[in-house]
Amino acid sequence: MAKGVLVDLTRCIGCGSCAVACKLHNGLEWDPEKPIIDEKAVLAGENWTVITSHVVAVKDREVWRFVKHQCLHCLEPACASSCFVSALRKTPEGPVVYNEDICVGCRYCMLACPFGVPKYEWDQQFPRVQKCNMCFSRVNAGQVTACTVVCPTQALRFGERDALLAEARRRIADNHAYVPAVYGEKEYGGTSWLYISDVPFEQMGFKTNVSERSIPSYTWSVLKWTPYIAVGWTAALTALYLYTKRRAEVEEDH
Amino acid sequence: MEIDFDEGGVRVNKHCEREQAVTRRAFLKMMGGLGLAGLAVGAGGCLESPVRDTGGQGWLPYQYEAAGTWPVPMRGRVSIDPMNPSLVRDDAKCVLCGQCLDVCERVQAVFGHYGLPLADDVICIHCGQCTMACPTGAIAERDDTDKVWQALDDPSRFVVVQTAPATRVALGEEFGLEPGTWVAGKQVAALRKLGFDAVLDTNFTADLTIMEEGTELIKRIKGELPGKPLPQFTSCCPGWIKFCEYFYPDLLPNLSTCKSPQQMFGALAKTYYAAKRNIAPESIVSVSVMPCTAKKFEEQRPEMNDSGSFHGKTSLRDVDVVLTTRELAKMLKRKGIDLTALPDEAYDSFMGDSTGAAIIFGATGGVMEAAVRSAYFFITGQKTPADLLNLTPVRGLDGVKEAAVDIPGVGAVRVAVCHGMANGRRVLEEVRSGRAPWHFIEFMACPGGCIAGGGQPRTAVPPTDEVRTKRIAGLYSADARWVRRESHENPEVLALYREFLEHPMSEKAEELLHTEYVSRADKIRPLELSKSVS
Repeated sequence: MAKGVLVDLTRCIGCGSCAVACKLHNGLEWDPEKPIIDEKAVLAGENWTVITSHVVAVKDREVWRFVKHQCLHCLEPACASSCFVSALRKTPEGPVVYNEDICVGCRYCMLACPFGVPKYEWDQQFPRVQKCNMCFSRVNAGQVTACTVVCPTQALRFGERDALLAEARRRIADNHAYVPAVYGEKEYGGTSWLYISDVPFEQMGFKTNVSERSIPSYTWSVLKWTPYIAVGWTAALTALYLYTKRRAEVEEDH
Repeated sequence: MEIDFDEGGVRVNKHCEREQAVTRRAFLKMMGGLGLAGLAVGAGGCLESPVRDTGGQGWLPYQYEAAGTWPVPMRGRVSIDPMNPSLVRDDAKCVLCGQCLDVCERVQAVFGHYGLPLADDVICIHCGQCTMACPTGAIAERDDTDKVWQALDDPSRFVVVQTAPATRVALGEEFGLEPGTWVAGKQVAALRKLGFDAVLDTNFTADLTIMEEGTELIKRIKGELPGKPLPQFTSCCPGWIKFCEYFYPDLLPNLSTCKSPQQMFGALAKTYYAAKRNIAPESIVSVSVMPCTAKKFEEQRPEMNDSGSFHGKTSLRDVDVVLTTRELAKMLKRKGIDLTALPDEAYDSFMGDSTGAAIIFGATGGVMEAAVRSAYFFITGQKTPADLLNLTPVRGLDGVKEAAVDIPGVGAVRVAVCHGMANGRRVLEEVRSGRAPWHFIEFMACPGGCIAGGGQPRTAVPPTDEVRTKRIAGLYSADARWVRRESHENPEVLALYREFLEHPMSEKAEELLHTEYVSRADKIRPLELSKSVS
């Protein structure tokens, strides 16, 4: 049931259609200081997806590659686990969505995200945390994400994550030019967005050699004891209170 | 008891007794009430689904609002490298309508005709047809007007301007005139008003191109140029040149080695012209006004500095700045110059004269017709017959046009003309297969030729054949009324050969007027390979 997007970096020509579609569909502002396609393009409150360009070497030859950046929609998102009001949630459909109505603006999610994706609207009076929602409304309506539908080279492909993973493995098996890895398959417990490439991922700014365990699973190993400690500690203190109270009464009686 | 006392200049009332009057009961009631109110607010919020989405507040063009499995006929946009010398895009104006991609793929046969991944280049022939198709004006030429303003403001620079054949039937449209209105004289007056030191004509070197290219064709036909096969391809169009370098590098020997008229002019401006007018070549700023965005790319090709090599100063460029017709209109409007109110003026008398053959360079078939007129004279030594002065089979907007011209001495010379690189591919595939019957083929990247180039006024968006036809008619009617209609009759061109170049394809002509091409095959991956990937 969980959806995802497969990004085939070998097919990207850097046109930036996806980034423009994101701006149009989500009604995001344009800031000339924050380009969407550039070697300096960065995610921001109004840039939910950007394209960075990279000059890399393939078989001793310089080539140009472009990388689309956006929320990777972790299968077990650290942002959602760090959010104490559940403003960020992982939906069964795949997208990690944000509810601005209950967000208190603590920005724990920004610290928790291992990819540095959530951004804050620092210049707003009532700032929100902003990031790609994987076009939740479109996905719910049976459509593909805005970035996928506009891609002229089919570098982006929307579908069931399991099917996309199989497709990614098939492409890698059919063509030895690909790096034999699917980025997002296991990184931090896996992400809904998957990447394949003919250039090693670390050369294009991807965070590689990361844990295959999700971040919430680390915190959960401690936090899962919270109810037991809370109940146990209460019980222990109550018992102590009753004991000391009873002892005082006994002493007074004497 | 109530005590008033001053604290930091502010009078404060302290109610000691009333503070004590808050009983424990009242306090608990107040806190309980606040808690109930908070619960009520919280419960109201909790009744809503907690999964909410902030996105989706905007819109997308209708073709993208379809169920996920449905095909989308037109998607996305062309890729424009930030370093593209010809074209820029304002992302904030883009609505992803898909028009630019459509023209790039179907009319110019560039996008979608190469495999992926990319090498170290974003494939672009700089034709600028995307700027003509863009409904929001997001794609435009790279604006070089500031460089020209700077040069004009600098009294130490001698600013020379040349104007392409096609701008004189289109510039008027920026000032409300009908498409195709002949504004050659007004354009000259306007350029003088802007402050250019010399207003010269690219048509002069269009005639020169015919002298060189026609001579080269005859030499190829006679087999005097080893390694230079037939058919010969025209080389005036920089978009077409880059297309050939990308996609048909095996046919580069067929390309005429002649530079385009713009580049011939640039090379002569800083050599022949500078010497004759006694001006230091390095003080000359060579500006051209073109209907074309690819000319900006052509001017920046590293080998286009032959006037520099001639003087031993390799930093000297043959052409320094290329303006599109639209940029010239922008400059005129900024200065408040109304083109329509200007008198007709003539080009400078030196490197400003031209024939009817040069005028029609701006239309599809025009270069071919001009070449045929002079080729007849070169081969037979006789005056070109009247029917060759109206070579109607190569006129008009058909994608591929053919003609056979009987020239005494060599027999039937077969020629073909195509415009729009999708039509170009049809012709090139014939040549590649060895079935092509032609001796000489004219290629122009833009449909209709230079009159509908990527730098022309956006009179109709997307461009229509109606506008193209009117502009073409403007050129041919000028040709028809011109006194001299054959390039070899241009007295200034003949003087140039007498005084400087000696004869067509002389050593000096080869040095300044001819060029070489580079294969860009390593930028292009075969299409089949990428299909097997997807």
